[in-house]
Amino acid sequence: MMTCRECAELLLEYLSGELEAELSERIKLHLEFCPPCVTYVETYQTTIRITRQLPAELPPEVEERLRAVLKEHLQ
Amino acid sequence: MSATPTHSNGHKFTPEQVFRQYAPRVFALARRMLGNDADAEDVTQDVLLQVVRKLDTFRGESDIFTWLHRMTVNAALALRAKRARREERETHDPLDHFLEDGQHGKAVHPWSVPPDQQALDKERGQIIEQAIAKLPELYRDTYVLADVEGLSNPEIGEMLKLSLPAVKSRLHRGRMLMRDALAPHFEEVAT
Repeated sequence: MMTCRECAELLLEYLSGELEAELSERIKLHLEFCPPCVTYVETYQTTIRITRQLPAELPPEVEERLRAVLKEHLQ
Repeated sequence: MSATPTHSNGHKFTPEQVFRQYAPRVFALARRMLGNDADAEDVTQDVLLQVVRKLDTFRGESDIFTWLHRMTVNAALALRAKRARREERETHDPLDHFLEDGQHGKAVHPWSVPPDQQALDKERGQIIEQAIAKLPELYRDTYVLADVEGLSNPEIGEMLKLSLPAVKSRLHRGRMLMRDALAPHFEEVAT
């Protein structure tokens, strides 16, 4: 039986579908009987999802200084 | 000027358009890699001046996008090396959190976060930014390029001069550390 640590170690390749079939089946089997690992996988995936939602922001004072430099350069 | 790069809708890019469209992304990437606004501003200025100088040489939007990522990463790594501020923080392996028998060392609780289509609120955004800033550099660069910028593992390997297995290993450990750092903030309160 696969341990929780082994399951976590292979998670990236399992979720991206790159893991060989036999290992993938062993993880699926482990997840059937291990609620903490199911939650671990869900929260690992949530981490990726919410990180991708981060906005790219430019503070107004930085924008002002950068515009001034760009303007000077273009003149 | 000839061969000015074109927007996907066929219009030519002007320096103003490049600034509006890309300056926030360049700054955000540099800040996440370097961990402070002042260094990120230096990198953004450097990258923007170079892109404006080379505007005639780009073949289109995707060309600029790829180039800006590469330039920002290179400039951020160069600045980090120049300032010799490479951290000496101990980089522990998140897999060490598991017990010797392979079970979870801490209880794993579900999270309460908004659904996919709902934008992150400011407070949650700050929590995630702080967790990124605390990631060891070893994992942070890979994590930011993959999970914030959405670059592929081969693209990251090329930019950071890492093998594909090294990119995957660092990314996975970065994600596990991020998960562990966010868990106390996002776990559902037991009723």
